[in-house]
Amino acid sequence: MTSATLPAVAAAGKPSAFRPGRILLYAGLVIGALLMITPFLWMVLTAFKSELEILKFSWLPGELRWSNFSEAMQTAPFLRYFRNSALIALGETAFTLVVCTTAGYALAKMPLRGGKLMLGYFIVLLLVPFQIILVPLFMIVKSIPLFGGNNILGQGGIGWLNSWWGLIIPLGAAPFFTFLARQFFVSLPDELAQAARVDGLGEFGIFWRIMLPLIKPALITIGVFQIEAAWNGFLWPLMITTSDELRPLQLGLAIFSQNPAEIQWPYLMAGTALATLPMIVLFVFAQKRFIEGMANVGIKG
Amino acid sequence: MSTTLERPALSATRKADVAKDKGTLTRNQVRTGWALLAPALLHSGVFIVIPVVAVLVLSLTDYSFGDTWSWVGFGNYSELFRDVDFLASLWHTVLYAIIVIPISMAISLAVALGLNQKIRGLGFFRTAFYIPTVTATVAVATIWLWIYNPGSGLANGFLSLFGFAPNRWLADPGTALGSLMVVGIWQGLGTKIIIYLAALQGVSRDLLESADIDGANRWQKFRNVTLPALGPVQFFVLITSIVGTFQVFDLVYVMTRGGPGSETRVLVLDIYQNAFQDLKLGYASAETVIMMIVIAVFIGVGRLLQKADTND
Repeated sequence: MTSATLPAVAAAGKPSAFRPGRILLYAGLVIGALLMITPFLWMVLTAFKSELEILKFSWLPGELRWSNFSEAMQTAPFLRYFRNSALIALGETAFTLVVCTTAGYALAKMPLRGGKLMLGYFIVLLLVPFQIILVPLFMIVKSIPLFGGNNILGQGGIGWLNSWWGLIIPLGAAPFFTFLARQFFVSLPDELAQAARVDGLGEFGIFWRIMLPLIKPALITIGVFQIEAAWNGFLWPLMITTSDELRPLQLGLAIFSQNPAEIQWPYLMAGTALATLPMIVLFVFAQKRFIEGMANVGIKG
Repeated sequence: MSTTLERPALSATRKADVAKDKGTLTRNQVRTGWALLAPALLHSGVFIVIPVVAVLVLSLTDYSFGDTWSWVGFGNYSELFRDVDFLASLWHTVLYAIIVIPISMAISLAVALGLNQKIRGLGFFRTAFYIPTVTATVAVATIWLWIYNPGSGLANGFLSLFGFAPNRWLADPGTALGSLMVVGIWQGLGTKIIIYLAALQGVSRDLLESADIDGANRWQKFRNVTLPALGPVQFFVLITSIVGTFQVFDLVYVMTRGGPGSETRVLVLDIYQNAFQDLKLGYASAETVIMMIVIAVFIGVGRLLQKADTND
């Protein structure tokens, strides 16, 4: 008995536990993960160091100087930058959710003539990089009629430059999100809408009360992606804001680090840590959404 | 027999009824559909389509925010090809793309294959590799600026453990662009890994098993089953990587501003400076058009390479 079962157990147990390939695999992955995490770790460690400690390379701070964080907040208006970034992220996300879910639903479920063509239109736009259009986009935003001292023809003032409108509207509602919303609506069964129609619900009611609640996970996915994009945005705010009043966090950080001779690294790292933290927390909590969203677009697209 | 005879008659009247009903229903649906689509159409028209057309038109003018401007034909373009800053930017961007794209795609695929082996701690590894991607590029650039600090940065500190002499990284013309590429690769792995991983889970188990039965080794299975199955996803990753690498800006702006000299000057930085510091909008637009063409060429070449690869 024993002589018969023992080899079998050994053979079954061995591959998963002690195979050299397996160990190599884990070693590789752990080294890779360390390479990913170490810069962040070093950022946090630096944030606790004193000005003297950073003159020479060292890993650990002598003591944890929590005061670096509050002092960093005073060297630049980081609190205001935080508030601005949060406002932009919220505004852009709300705008995107409204515009992109409605459009996505129409593309997925409405019998539109040329619907296929419309879908193609959004897919093509999805490929247009923002950098390509930045010059004319700036001019359009500058000449939005009746804003910022412009006349009805969009001349004479600054339009949406240096305004919340300009920061939020042009970059919201990216075709990417319309496409993503459409992908989620397409998978809902048509019978649901039919049943609601028989019950006498109007077309908009079907969208708003039946279909939209069913893609709640998709709404979270879109929201999470949009919040991340808005929070991390840099080039557009750099182009259209001239006052510190409206500047978001990334712009504040970049300005803070622009004078190499005077950079106070512990403060800068403390500020960077605070700027990074919200998105890392968001990712850890909404990991599934990020991954589903990426996978959906990558594979079905 | 009788049922088959009756059926057409019945369904004919029914069909008419349904069609009438369906007519108003459909009209209603169409109206609502366009209403729901309208805001997105208006937004994309104003903020994407018009700018794309405008950039083509602007590139033929000498517009510079002033009241007067004139057509200059292809003058901007011929001037660009004599502009050393532009030529350097174009060269650096192409070099950046050619080096960063294949390396980051290969590493991402390798990591995704590793993560696909039913390993423990998948969540941890996935988070670790994805965190640089969710972090703002400005923050990433700021962290790496400190890592590359010649005096007390992590890069020199770490390498000195192995007896390497300190390097000046971003300040050294020989290593500046390479140092930026490392950060670009490092930050871009997460998205690609996630996409590859999702695609790998869709590779047919039956095919892999029948390859096992045929006695294929690991490499043969990868080369003949897994890789072809990844085809469309490879193309998606390739296109997004091309577009992404040509957009590189935040990294360069924060870390080097194109220096030392113009060793790390890239296209978007050059466009940005021409447009918003020198106010040469027509000139910057021509530069943008050339960037579009180069991106299109890259995508075309990528497609050809992929086709050649799947055909052999």
